[in-house]
This record gives sequence, structure tokens and C-alpha cells, in this order.
Amino acid sequence: MAVWALGPALVSAAAACPLTPADGAVVAGDGVQAAWHVADGQAIEISRHFALQVRLCPAGATLLAVDATMPAHRHGMNYRPSLQPLGDGRWRVEGLLFHMRGTWALTLSAQAGSAPGGPAQVLRQTLELP
Amino acid sequence: MRPVPASLPWVLAALLWLMAATAQAQLLDFSPAERRAILGHGPWPTAPVPDTSNRLVEDAAAIALGRRLFFDTGLSGDGTVACASCHRPDRAFQDGRSTAIGLGPGVRNTLGLLDAAGQRWYGWDGGTDSLWAASVRPLLNPREMAGSAGTVAARLRGAPGLAAGARQAGIAVDGHEAAVLADVGKALAAFQATLVSPRTAFDDFRDALARGDTAAAARYPLAAQRGLRLFVGRGHCALCHAGPRFSNGEFADIGAPFFVPGGGVDAGRHAGLQALRADPYNRLGPFADDGGAGAVATRHVRREHRHFGEFKVPGLRQLRHTAPYLHDGSLATLADVVRHYDQLNEDRLHADGERILRPLGLSAEESADLVAFLESLSD
Repeated sequence: MAVWALGPALVSAAAACPLTPADGAVVAGDGVQAAWHVADGQAIEISRHFALQVRLCPAGATLLAVDATMPAHRHGMNYRPSLQPLGDGRWRVEGLLFHMRGTWALTLSAQAGSAPGGPAQVLRQTLELP
Repeated sequence: MRPVPASLPWVLAALLWLMAATAQAQLLDFSPAERRAILGHGPWPTAPVPDTSNRLVEDAAAIALGRRLFFDTGLSGDGTVACASCHRPDRAFQDGRSTAIGLGPGVRNTLGLLDAAGQRWYGWDGGTDSLWAASVRPLLNPREMAGSAGTVAARLRGAPGLAAGARQAGIAVDGHEAAVLADVGKALAAFQATLVSPRTAFDDFRDALARGDTAAAARYPLAAQRGLRLFVGRGHCALCHAGPRFSNGEFADIGAPFFVPGGGVDAGRHAGLQALRADPYNRLGPFADDGGAGAVATRHVRREHRHFGEFKVPGLRQLRHTAPYLHDGSLATLADVVRHYDQLNEDRLHADGERILRPLGLSAEESADLVAFLESLSD
């Protein structure tokens, strides 16, 4: 089942980073940008676990958390995704599951550096699961 | 013999055309979005996805052993109760009671076992994460079969037919009791994985719609079509009752009472997650045959306050044969279930819970249509 991204597409600021369309949909914050796509060539399907491949820019940024909610329903996922750094700003995010069709808000929390306690950016993107 | 009037073939053709046109008229004008939603409930049956944590699944010898074990009262603590005592084959592997009665009184409705394979969570509380762990749980529960790893292993070793069947399935009968218990659960699961519900009138309709065969689709009763439209539309039923099984496999608070007769409460999913984590037979434990590789759900599931009083979203196939309904068997008929959602008491819903359920406010005809649709999910 296809997922349509309603949020920001590639932004001009991304030109300063080595993010490419192959990295996926780009969400930009203040000082941190992230590109993501569904890993393993999969699509997001209702009630099926999936993983994301995330690339951060700058590469030294740290992915702190990934989550998703359905704002209209006032609930989130029943699962807490795990993050695995792959190096060079790339991360694998496991354990996501959207258990209903409708509008989901995906959030990626990241900080520009790797020092603990640094200011976090929350990058949001809206997805429609038909 | 009298000659056939020359006009008769034309009359017959006109009659056939009229019949076809009438049949066409019996198919509702489902919108593209409705059609997409309807097609999402099939095709049926789905391709099996073997449980990687159970090396015995799909093994013929294990399936045969599991079938014998399923009907074997010797697995229970006092030798009087079998899995089949509550999961009766003549009732879609349910028992028809509001709440189960094993060796003691239960507090929950017995879930049927058709289409049990391939689910993420088992039991109304999702306290187990595989069909084999779900098969171990009642063996040990004092209210159900009140056995132990020791009694189950002793039964397997002591009954010649069972021991031979177990060895044929590659089970180390003389191994550690806990491992033998796990393997008994896996053999039981291998058998249950073969229990697939038959196709229904809905499936024929859904497939006809998929291939554009409007004449075949129009054979689906109009009341069921109207009920289906409510199900995927205004009723919001398909939000949770999604996919070919008509369940998203998760848990929900539907305003059902969670007080237990005699006192106490049934915490549902909240307690189920606690049980899951404490269960040595979960998919992250030492008995999972894939070393936990397939335990994505167990590894990532979160436990929050909102899970209190949530119960599993049941599948809806063969629903006609599995009354009564809800986790406590408190609703006797499908009409009662529809009435529950129609007149939903919002005060019973979690204050911090989801904003999905609202009283449906159905007319009498709409309620009957929804029941007609639900009944069409059974053979």
C-alpha cells in the first residue's frame, strides 16, 4: 500500500548537504536535516512492522528518537522504535507499526552534534496511509 | 407439437437482459475509496507466514502429534480437561459460554482458534506473542488445565503413542521438562496453524468486485452491501477491524466493563504486557527457535497507562459461530454488538484514550444491515 507524504519535500537548504533524492523524503529543521525512506524496499502497510533508513545532515548529528502519532485520534504507536547508527550520518530505525489507516505524524528528534544534552530538533512529517 | 412463435427468442432475450439489468441494479455504487477499503479485506485465505520461532510448524509429524495432544485430557492437572474441552471443533473452536470453565471458573470469553496462525499477539490481553506460547499458557493456568512442566513432560513420556509421535517429530522427550513443555506447545501450535476458516459470501463478493464482475458481485445481498458500506465508512469499524482477518491485531478500549464478577478488575492489555515480559516462553526467551530474530513486536512493544482496560481487536470471520461476544462474553448476539456501538456510553471510555468511537446513531434498518454484513463473514 502506498504512503503519500503530505509534508515538506526536498527543500532548497538541502542543497548544502549531501542529501540526495535517493535518501528519501527530506525534513529540515534549524541546523539539522533528515532524509528517510522505508528500508528493505518495503512499503508501509497497515499493521505491519517496518523499518526506516534515515540519513542526517550534518553527518555528525545524532538521532535521538523516532515516533509517530495520529493527531486526529489522539493516539500514537503501540511500539517504541529502536535506533541503530550505521555511520556517516545513516541510521536504521526498527519497530515502527501503523495500526490504522489515516493521517500519521512522523517525528524525528535529532541534535546537531553528539554531545549529550545538546538542544534537540524535532522534525515532523505528515503521512497518509490510505 | 405446436410451432414456436418467431417472437419467442426475442422475448427470452429481453427477459434475460431485464434480469441482468436487475442484477446490476442490486450492486451499490461503491465509491473508489469504498472499493479500495473493501478490497483490503481480502483475498482470502491469505498466504501462510510460518512462525520462525517454531521449528515444528508445518511439520507433518508435529501436526499429527499436536492434533492428538489437543484432544488429550492427560495434559491437565487432574486428567479431565483437554484443549478441546473449551475449544470445541463443532463451535469454531469456541465453547459458547460467556466465560470459560476449565478446572476453575474463568473471567474471559474463549477465543476461537480458526485462523489462529500468524497473529502478533494471542489472548484477549495479548499476554503471549506466539501461538505456541499461547498454547503453553492454558496448560499451566490453574483455572484452565492446571498442569505444570513436570506433569506435561510426564504425560508425553508415559503415553506410548504420544512419546512415539513426539520422537517422530524430533522432540527430545527425555529433555528438560521446560523444553518439553515448549515443544508440546509448538506441536499444539503446528496443529492449530492448520485451522483456516473457509471462504464466505463476502469473499466471493470482494473477489468479484476486484475482477470487475458486477453480475457476480450483485449476488451479494443488498442488506449486506449496505452494512459493508457502513462498516468501511460512517461506522469506522474498519479502522480496527482491518485487513483480511478483520483485525489490526492490536488492542482497544470499546467501553466494555472490565469489572470481574466477584470483585476485582480485568486490566486487559496492561496486565497482558506484564505477563508477556515475565513469560519465559516469549519470543525473546530461550525456547524461541529463531533466537529472537523474529521478535520485532516483543522487542519494541510499549506499555502505557492507556492500555488499562484495552482488549484485543478480534477477527470477525466465522463470527456467527462464536457467540457470545466481547472479552467477557457479555453480548449474546451480533445485534447486541451493533447496539453496543450504536448506543456507546462515552463516559466509559478512557478520558485520555483515543477519539475514534462515538455512538453511531443507526436507524433500525441500518443496524439490521450491519448485522447482515457481519453474518456474511461466516460460512
